[in-house]
Amino acid sequence: MAKFFAKKRVLAATSALALLSVLSIGIEPARSADAPVKITVWSFGDVIQRDLVRQYQALHPNVTIEYTKYNLDDVNGTKLITQCSAYKLTKKLGGPDIVAVEVAYSGKWRATPSCFQDLRKMATSDTNVAAGVKAGLSGSDLKADYLPWRWEQGVGYDDSVIGIPTDVGGLEVAYRSDLFKAAGLPSERVAVGKLWPTWDKFIETGKKYVAKLTAAQKKKNFAFIDDAGSIYTAMLNQGTAKYYENNGTDAGKLVYKTNPAIKKAWDATVKAMDSGISSKTAQFTADWPVGMNNGKFAVILSPAWMTEYIKAQAPTTKGKWDIAEIPVGGGNQGGTQLTIPAGSVYKQEAYDFMTWYLAPAQQLQMFKKFGLFPSTLASYKDPAVADFKDPFFNNAPVGKIYGDGMLKLKPIFEGTCQRAIDMAFGAGLGRVQAKKQTSAASWTATLAALSKDKCLTSGN
Amino acid sequence: MTAIDDSTKPSGLSRQGSKGGRRKPAPSPWRAKKIQSDKNPGGLASLNGKWGYLFTAPFFVMFLIFGLAPIVYSTVIAFFNWDPIGDIEFIGLKNFEDLLADERFWLALGNTMEIWVLATFPALIGSIGLAAILRNKFLRGATAWRTVLLVPNITSVIAVAIVFGQLFGRDFGMINNVIELFGFPRVDFIEDSFASHVAIATMITWRWMGYNALIFLASMLAIPDELYESASLDGASAWQQFRYVTLPGLRNTITFVLIVGTIGGLQVFAEPLTLGGGLSGGSSRQFSTLTLFLYEQAFASYQWGYAAAVGILITFIVLIVSAINFAITRRLADENTR
Repeated sequence: MAKFFAKKRVLAATSALALLSVLSIGIEPARSADAPVKITVWSFGDVIQRDLVRQYQALHPNVTIEYTKYNLDDVNGTKLITQCSAYKLTKKLGGPDIVAVEVAYSGKWRATPSCFQDLRKMATSDTNVAAGVKAGLSGSDLKADYLPWRWEQGVGYDDSVIGIPTDVGGLEVAYRSDLFKAAGLPSERVAVGKLWPTWDKFIETGKKYVAKLTAAQKKKNFAFIDDAGSIYTAMLNQGTAKYYENNGTDAGKLVYKTNPAIKKAWDATVKAMDSGISSKTAQFTADWPVGMNNGKFAVILSPAWMTEYIKAQAPTTKGKWDIAEIPVGGGNQGGTQLTIPAGSVYKQEAYDFMTWYLAPAQQLQMFKKFGLFPSTLASYKDPAVADFKDPFFNNAPVGKIYGDGMLKLKPIFEGTCQRAIDMAFGAGLGRVQAKKQTSAASWTATLAALSKDKCLTSGN
Repeated sequence: MTAIDDSTKPSGLSRQGSKGGRRKPAPSPWRAKKIQSDKNPGGLASLNGKWGYLFTAPFFVMFLIFGLAPIVYSTVIAFFNWDPIGDIEFIGLKNFEDLLADERFWLALGNTMEIWVLATFPALIGSIGLAAILRNKFLRGATAWRTVLLVPNITSVIAVAIVFGQLFGRDFGMINNVIELFGFPRVDFIEDSFASHVAIATMITWRWMGYNALIFLASMLAIPDELYESASLDGASAWQQFRYVTLPGLRNTITFVLIVGTIGGLQVFAEPLTLGGGLSGGSSRQFSTLTLFLYEQAFASYQWGYAAAVGILITFIVLIVSAINFAITRRLADENTR
């Protein structure tokens, strides 16, 4: 019997200890200004640059910035969801202090601002005053520094500020001037831009180009544009509303069935597919970089960050590429905000780092070193951006072309289920391109599938 | 305990030793130990049962945290409209009702079964064949070959997907170049439903065939040589030896490989995800599998309850298919030995 009780006492002691250790995680320790701090950052792609992180660590010897580069879908589609879900269940602090959120995923995040620290309630400390970031700036104070439509992508639907913009995607046309010339088209960039004031004219130009291709080339799907599907996204992002309308609520109002912009973008894309100008090479598949090199297509609708990708994948085509203005003018694809998850332990330190990292001076550095376009308004007047010419793109004034386009854009309300809807319409256009369905049948099937999708019907 | 019991039976060695006369076999070391432990009830041996629990505890703790807890959690949330970061509402069996009426689910089930058949049966024959080759006594560098067989299995799925993506490319892929060389039209391994299943099945086969071959090899090596010797004395050809000695000896292993293959094959995920087309598995969901559908519902539509319901149905489907497999392989094997 005594033995039994002894066992029980041990058990009680261990469970008490376990309980204590669980509780102690929740208690925030008081810190002095110079206490060592480790800021954990979840990132993807080129969002966080080592050079700048090193600079910040040199300015603040007590701060360590531990950043991990994930696959975009892993960090935005999965990890951040499980992280916030766990935080809401346990209310336990921990996990990342900064997470990069991409605009394709931000519809859900803007509808769920409780997953993030409201940056309106933060204020910069005096730690970066010497580096040009004033003390006492809240999220609202920073707004005026950024492109308005870019800023809006980090604003929760309850008007809280959940993220600060990093670089801008922008969208213009990257084209092969040598192939244009060979096809008897104008090859000089202003003249090329004038070929397509509208998307219809863009398709017409494509037809003229394709007419000059040989039968052998056509058999291997040589054509004008890499993937006609990209026209759909580009056209939608030139408008002000997509699948949702902002009606002042968190969820917004679903208008994908009635918004004429969607049918218009769909029809134009189908027209491009039917006219044979698409090489049907989906972006980021195995055939895509091959096509960049061997001239399978002459045109890519390219966000600013993609120019770096083209350089890396097709270095031998240097000087053959050029940049022209996108039809209609102004376009966007991609864009990221840095956010502070609600579960972060070092919110103040994270905010101080973020406001420094995304200030005009640092964004300018990132543009010069890595070709990422700044989201800060002041940078567009800086000669380093405004006068930037890229030798890979035949010395095109990349800075001016992208800069002008970015200033034309307006904010778009994304809505909770934007990603699921985007995927459904993308698949629908894919079926038309693969000739599995007619445009009308595929449109009907897409709407039918969406009307049954649980993301839309469950009212979340 | 089993080791001690075994020692009381005459072992092969002691039988050989007793060939000359009927000498009493020397007591085996196991026996000696047993006697000793009987005399000495203290020490480690007396604790045998309890220590066993301690040593196996890490597995059970891990299983509780990473195995049982998620199973319980997902079973519970399957009865809810469960947005991971939003509202939660109890809806009873509605998720299951909706799921059974959801054509995307049935399509994914059909795709999964087709991929499973394509990936399982040719690979089964292939791996038994490979094992038969490796069993050959005249094969040089047998260990090296066996190691090579495992390489596909330890290669990252993503790396495999990238390489196969290049091979299966529609316009510049090597496989299509070969197909064209023989005068056939190029195949779109992503848009065409059956071709995409073949592509995925090829990736799975490439990954698991060598691994299964090693399992079959181990099983083949356990078949006593005497059986082959007497078979060849009876004039059996190499094929007849394989058919009537090797195959019946592999009966249990075939059942094992098939069931493990079923559990894995019905959960195929990384290959269709990386083939292209994103979470929906192609423009007409032509290679959307059950787990890919589950993942799409959980992380593109934020329907964790619905996704959990898919998971539970996958469990039942795996159980049913495994049971059918088990029954069929048993019956086939029985016919073999008859």
